[in-house]
Amino acid sequence: MKLAPQSIPYRAFQKVAGIVVILFFVVTSNDWGFLTAAAAGGGVLLLALAYEVAYYRRFDYELTEDTLDIASGVISRREREIPYRRIQNVDVSRSVIQRAIGVAAVDLETAGGSSTEGSIRFVTPEEATRLQREVQRRKSDASGGESGKRGADADTRPGSVGPDEEELFAISPGELALVGALSFDGRLIGLLAFLGSGSFPVLSSFVPDASAAAISALAIVAVGLLFLVSWIIGAGLAFSNYYGFRLLRAGDELRYERGLFRRYSGSIPTEKVQTLSISDNPAKRALGYASLSIETAGYAPGQGGNYGSQAAVPIATTERVYRLAHEVEVFGTPSFNRPPKRIRWRYVFRYAIVVGVIAGVAFAIDWYVAADIPWYGALALLLAVPPAAHLKWKHRGYWLGEDHLLTRNGFWSRSVTVVPYYRIQNVIDNRTIFQRRWNVATIIADTAGGSSLTGSDAAAVDFDTDEAVELRATLQNRLQSAVRERRDRRTAFEWFEGDAGSDNSDTDETSTTDAERSTDVPESTDDDPVTEGVVEPDVPDDGPVRPDFSGGDRDYSKPAERIDTGEYAVDRFPSDVDVAHRGRTESESDDTAEDTPVNGDDSDDTHDDSDDANDPANSER
Amino acid sequence: MTTQTLHPRVRIVWILRSVLVAAVLSAPFVGAFYFGYLPEWAPVGAGAVFLVLGVGHSVLRYRRWSYEIREDALYLDRGVVTQVRTTVPLVRIQHVDSRRGPVERGAGLASCVVYTAGSRGADVRIPGLTPDGASDLREELKRLAIRADGEDAV
Repeated sequence: MKLAPQSIPYRAFQKVAGIVVILFFVVTSNDWGFLTAAAAGGGVLLLALAYEVAYYRRFDYELTEDTLDIASGVISRREREIPYRRIQNVDVSRSVIQRAIGVAAVDLETAGGSSTEGSIRFVTPEEATRLQREVQRRKSDASGGESGKRGADADTRPGSVGPDEEELFAISPGELALVGALSFDGRLIGLLAFLGSGSFPVLSSFVPDASAAAISALAIVAVGLLFLVSWIIGAGLAFSNYYGFRLLRAGDELRYERGLFRRYSGSIPTEKVQTLSISDNPAKRALGYASLSIETAGYAPGQGGNYGSQAAVPIATTERVYRLAHEVEVFGTPSFNRPPKRIRWRYVFRYAIVVGVIAGVAFAIDWYVAADIPWYGALALLLAVPPAAHLKWKHRGYWLGEDHLLTRNGFWSRSVTVVPYYRIQNVIDNRTIFQRRWNVATIIADTAGGSSLTGSDAAAVDFDTDEAVELRATLQNRLQSAVRERRDRRTAFEWFEGDAGSDNSDTDETSTTDAERSTDVPESTDDDPVTEGVVEPDVPDDGPVRPDFSGGDRDYSKPAERIDTGEYAVDRFPSDVDVAHRGRTESESDDTAEDTPVNGDDSDDTHDDSDDANDPANSER
Repeated sequence: MTTQTLHPRVRIVWILRSVLVAAVLSAPFVGAFYFGYLPEWAPVGAGAVFLVLGVGHSVLRYRRWSYEIREDALYLDRGVVTQVRTTVPLVRIQHVDSRRGPVERGAGLASCVVYTAGSRGADVRIPGLTPDGASDLREELKRLAIRADGEDAV
């Protein structure tokens, strides 16, 4: 399919606008004739138009059976196929001008790559909506594994828009006003601080004879003004960003719409949600409000920035935010474990050092420029150190839910991060040299969510080393059991196709076993037979039938454990040979035997023997 | 698999690198001495301090570094100033590289890089392996990752 025709002139003007501005400056600064400049500008515009016509003719996208194909490029051509299953987000945005001429930009994000993978600029708004819906429909078909049936079904009614939309959240005028009032854009201050940092001594040498009181009054007024302006900027940005915000659920997908000048709408499959984070600050906490953001792996780190295109509920009452969060991920009511109390002393020392440095800098300025600054005033900040340390400690914590890890950090901007165990990619245990002195550690559960640059990783900071080691092991075990459960549900689903009842009972009982697990640390082996008995689906001898996504003739869709080779290996692929003898039950009992050594930090030598005996890989080497 | 340590020769690579870093760091001191801002001993002293720190760091780093493949995860333990212990579940491994840089080739060593979809620990590098060891480890991890039969969860 082609782009919208009106995108040709729009794209051309977009490209040329910069050049025209440059030409304007050239004309005004040189004594070129206006005609020459106009001719040059016209020539450039014609060139751009020609290029855009070629781009338009070349650009072609197509929704095939299981991929979205995009052919593009004038000089270097590119053909790209994006499997529907891999698409994370589909975002549509329309600026004021784009709305006036009736075009919309569509961006498709996958987890790979550092930029937007599928960028379609521009199509008509109707086509954009159709693309969004169609991608979702085909994706759920692809993952449902019954594309033939439902695809045919949809062909009979081509105007279908997919499942019904259910509104989860719509911002009210009052809430919008609150978002504006509570938003503060620190960038201006940052910029001024950056520009001003070099010029402070210079400035103060210019005004030596004014009285200190006048200078400080002026400084206070200036700082007040600066904050006011920052606040107005922040409020304006937040207002235009979140105007008309709505969050909808449509089948297995979340959709959002927002924006005053530039309208954004997007879709996030709930299957792709990596983490949720609920954030607030003291003002919001006092008023009983919080905000929610939903993170997927689609956006590269740093992409999107402050007001990114991720769906985020900007503000709602705390209770409502938690209800919305539960709508996406079902976690229980958290009760956070706090770090040991002694760690408050660590923060006291840290802040005291900061205050000392501030006082030192103030003293140095005082001494250097001989202005009469009351530098010792900075020491008054020491009074704030103990409460600050206490608050920092108070707002830290983690909680292990049935299927989720919740972490909480920060006082000024507190965020609670919800990580499903299944989404954990790595578990990192960090101990700085200072933390080692206090005998504490930080455990970070790394996910594929793209927000690590903004520092909202799920981290349990400053916990007792023993507790941290245990937490690390627990997370690893829970991840393993979540993966196992997911895999069993997958196979069970394929086997009991259409039989929703048995499938549900399976998952329910599994979750109760997990509930039992979560009550005691999963080094116990006794509840594992239960898990086996419940989760293990009744698989016929010839193995499960799974959709084959691989291009080669090796059938990777078949799990290696299930290849029945009898007494000796006849598999063509030697890497699987040793696996073939291992039954599922055996590997699970291996896992439970493994649960205990995981806890150990350095004292695992006792278990190594059993490892060697069990793992045929070692006897091979 | 028991806890593995790195090949002792990796210290040579690291020490060479810290010598290079020390040289770069002490260059400003040499420049300052050249233009007469600093006495003669300053660049020597600075270079010696950087060198001792670097070499000490390399040696300690070698002593700290260990890795282990357990039943369902790869464990790494490393870091001198900040100790880092990373758990990479085998089901989360995306792909595995073995690679040899020029210095590593010179020392007859190789390293193995394990990639996950995570945003922070997206790639984990195990240095100081013999070339055969690196490709064995790569094959082993590949085999285990396939056996683990995981989805990437993204």
